[in-house]
Amino acid sequence: MTVEAAAAGTADTAPGTPVLEVDGLSAFYGHVRALFDVSFTVAPGASVALVGANGAGKSTVARVVTGLVPAGGGTVRIDGADVTGHPPWDIARRGVTHVTEGRSVFSSLTVEENLVLTFRAELGAAAVPAALERVFGTFPRLGERRGQSAGTLSGGEQRMLALARALGAPQRLLVVDELSFGLAPVIVEQVYAALDDVRADGCALLLIEQHVDRALRAADHVVVLRKGAVVAAGTPAELSASLDELVLGPGPAEAG
Amino acid sequence: MTELLSYAIPGIPFGCVFALMAIGLVLTYTTSGVFNLAFGAQAFVSGLAFVSLIADGWPRWAAAVLAIVVLGPAVGLALDRLLFRRVRTASPVVKLVPSLGLLIALPQLALIIAGSVPTIAPPALFLNAQHVYLHVDGVPVSGLELSIMLATAVVVAALLLLARLTPFGLRMRAVVESPRLVELSGINASRVGATAWVISSCFAGLAGVLLAPLYSQIDPQNYTVLLVWGIAAAVIARFESVPLALIGSLALGVGQQVLAGYLPPGVIASGLRPSLPFLVLLVFLPFGRRNRIEDPLAGCDPPPSTLVEDARRYRPASTLAVDGGRATQVVGVWHRALRAGSSESLAARALRRPTSVVAWTLAGLAVLSALTWVSADWLLTMTQGLAFGTVFVSLTLLTGMSGQISLCQAAFAGVGGFAAGQLATQMGWPVLVAGVAGGAAAALLGVIVALPTLRLAGLPLALATLAFALLADNVLFPVSWLGDGASGVRIPRPSVGPVRFTASRPFFLLALVLLAVSAGVVKRIGDGTTGRYLAAMRGSETAASSVGIDVHRLRIGVFAISAGIAGVGGALYGSLQGSLVPNDFNYQVSLVLLVVAAIVGLGSIGGAVVAGLVYTALQRAVATLPSRYAGLVAVLFGLATLSYTRHPEGIVDFLGGRFTELWGRLLAATRQAPRAGGAGVPGPGAEPEPAHGTVRP
Repeated sequence: MTVEAAAAGTADTAPGTPVLEVDGLSAFYGHVRALFDVSFTVAPGASVALVGANGAGKSTVARVVTGLVPAGGGTVRIDGADVTGHPPWDIARRGVTHVTEGRSVFSSLTVEENLVLTFRAELGAAAVPAALERVFGTFPRLGERRGQSAGTLSGGEQRMLALARALGAPQRLLVVDELSFGLAPVIVEQVYAALDDVRADGCALLLIEQHVDRALRAADHVVVLRKGAVVAAGTPAELSASLDELVLGPGPAEAG
Repeated sequence: MTELLSYAIPGIPFGCVFALMAIGLVLTYTTSGVFNLAFGAQAFVSGLAFVSLIADGWPRWAAAVLAIVVLGPAVGLALDRLLFRRVRTASPVVKLVPSLGLLIALPQLALIIAGSVPTIAPPALFLNAQHVYLHVDGVPVSGLELSIMLATAVVVAALLLLARLTPFGLRMRAVVESPRLVELSGINASRVGATAWVISSCFAGLAGVLLAPLYSQIDPQNYTVLLVWGIAAAVIARFESVPLALIGSLALGVGQQVLAGYLPPGVIASGLRPSLPFLVLLVFLPFGRRNRIEDPLAGCDPPPSTLVEDARRYRPASTLAVDGGRATQVVGVWHRALRAGSSESLAARALRRPTSVVAWTLAGLAVLSALTWVSADWLLTMTQGLAFGTVFVSLTLLTGMSGQISLCQAAFAGVGGFAAGQLATQMGWPVLVAGVAGGAAAALLGVIVALPTLRLAGLPLALATLAFALLADNVLFPVSWLGDGASGVRIPRPSVGPVRFTASRPFFLLALVLLAVSAGVVKRIGDGTTGRYLAAMRGSETAASSVGIDVHRLRIGVFAISAGIAGVGGALYGSLQGSLVPNDFNYQVSLVLLVVAAIVGLGSIGGAVVAGLVYTALQRAVATLPSRYAGLVAVLFGLATLSYTRHPEGIVDFLGGRFTELWGRLLAATRQAPRAGGAGVPGPGAEPEPAHGTVRP
């Protein structure tokens, strides 16, 4: 079930080397197998959407890529380097940021502390003030609340804060899980606008989105997951017509 | 006012030492999820090293640096690497047992290494201990008290500044909330955790060194008491707040001294002070996790296994599947049947039959030997083993089957034994009837323990039962109508009509019968509907009550039955020995019982019986060694926790499983099917089960 979903992107350093290459990936939660032989690639600067129904394994793919869940088989490569089995902090230092689903900030720390924590680790202490300035320029709202503890922010602001971590340091790949979940439509558009900025800096995107139509507009490649396996991949234009069936499986008529 | 101060001021140094212990506990618990009871032992090791070095003529500062800054963290780091790192996401029992084992083993190991306890009076960390440096409202403050207060104030202030003002403190606070989210920021969270572990080990070491001069001699007992007070303070701090831990500790330290000062001397005063931690625990534990922020990435962890079941059921099928042939099919059926949640299939029974045949044959041979050729003192050891086996069976029911951690099982056994002895000697009841009545008394006590702890589970329940064991030691056992203090209680051997059990072989048979009855009761419970209820409760009390199981009634019932069986075991042991003293079943025995039960096997009745025999046999074997090695049993069990973290199902079930596996391989080799090539080889090695047609019948 290997489907190539290589996207034409702007390869900057090593032409031809995808920023993310997932090959034959499987994963388990305890004794439950969540992924079956998942393979796809993300070219530098590309935007790939993972779509699928609830429980299809989208979040698991993201978690295995960033090392949160161990791979049960297969490999994950970042910029050509095999990082399978590496701890999340090592993968993060290779320029991969994971905005996890739900709350993805430290509630008990202030907005500024949340950002300083990441920037200091990825950029070094000297570069922190500049990175903070830059982020607060992009998200003035966060700047207004820099001393406030992150747990008291609204859902949209917490999302912004999570994205701001990626904006402060130049990234190779940004993995965003359930981007629009629980957010007001206006906020969703703001967050997508922020993603465009991230991408403009040359960062590739791996988007996980239940709101499929919105994801298709933001992505230039789509990978469809069903029951833990890749069932289709291609450009949004190629797939949009048959997408419902791909996501949900054959309808009652065909299944007969 | 002066009187109050004269009681309160000596309490402050105690409060300070409790605070160091409590802060160490909170720090490791929040950063690594392990509630490290071994801190009590680490404190003792540092205290012992400090005093021993000074006795050897070292200068105070050098001894302090070595004991607190070198030895404390070294021991802590070693424990973290060898043990605790492996159990971070495990179930509460698996997390607790290694730290309990070390709490028992480390002081004994240190004493064996040190050879003897230094006889000098332990000195203060700095200042002249006896010299009075100042007066507060006429109450003198000695150098000892001043040194403890100053040292505590300095390190606690340093810790708070570190946490608030430094980059490392920021990382530490972030790890407390979510280690995984920290890792996603490019920070090695386990390194942060290890550093926090080192810092808290220093706290434990400092507590150990500071505590030493508060007593005339250095004694492991005082350090367990210190640990219990530290636990009470950590509970007041809701396991998370360092400032609250400090305030709570000071309140406890001052409170216990003031209480002791104002109460009239007697059982109430001498009993109330040691039971203060228990009362504090009962009052504060229900407020445990009120404001706790959940880790947003908790869902990434696999669900913690339910202690025994999973470890036993999900042994890697791949090792068997490669053999191909019939055994593979059998095992395949076995695994699938078990995974489907049904009870064991016929195929599984067929595969496990030889294991149980061998086990029963060994048991039969042992009984036969005991009745014929075994020497008198080894027969005594075996009978003791059966009595303790009965107590272990009660743990199988309570902890193994129901998932309720009990650290007061010896208290139940003691109460059963003492009640039986009192009824038999004072009231003239027949001993067997008195023994059953002792069991009933213990069962009643079980209900009394269960009622206030109904809403506790896991670690809080373990701590509450530990506190109860201490309460029993200090309040129940010394009273004249029960344990009667150090003199103990006489329990005669029983006789029924013409049959007298005074000789050792008839008594062995009696013990065997009582063990068999207890085991039968537990097995009936486990195999029946109640067993399913208990399994459900062990998995999740919320889920169990949502399908209509009355969890509270079930818990009260299981505590009562378990305590009753333990009580009968205690009476049996007392009757065998002829008398029972409180130290036979003090809180340390409770700790050892749980550790031994967990290591040998909590999951099966066979495990409990073996645990009883191993426990007494080892003690007898070590009794022949020079007195310096008296603690060797404790050390052995402590070291066995190393294997426990790998095989939480226990040694007995592990070996049984290995034997079954071997037999399966043998079967495969002899009945190599002609179409053996058709039997697949499992795919990636990491696969825990043949998920996709790797095994086809």
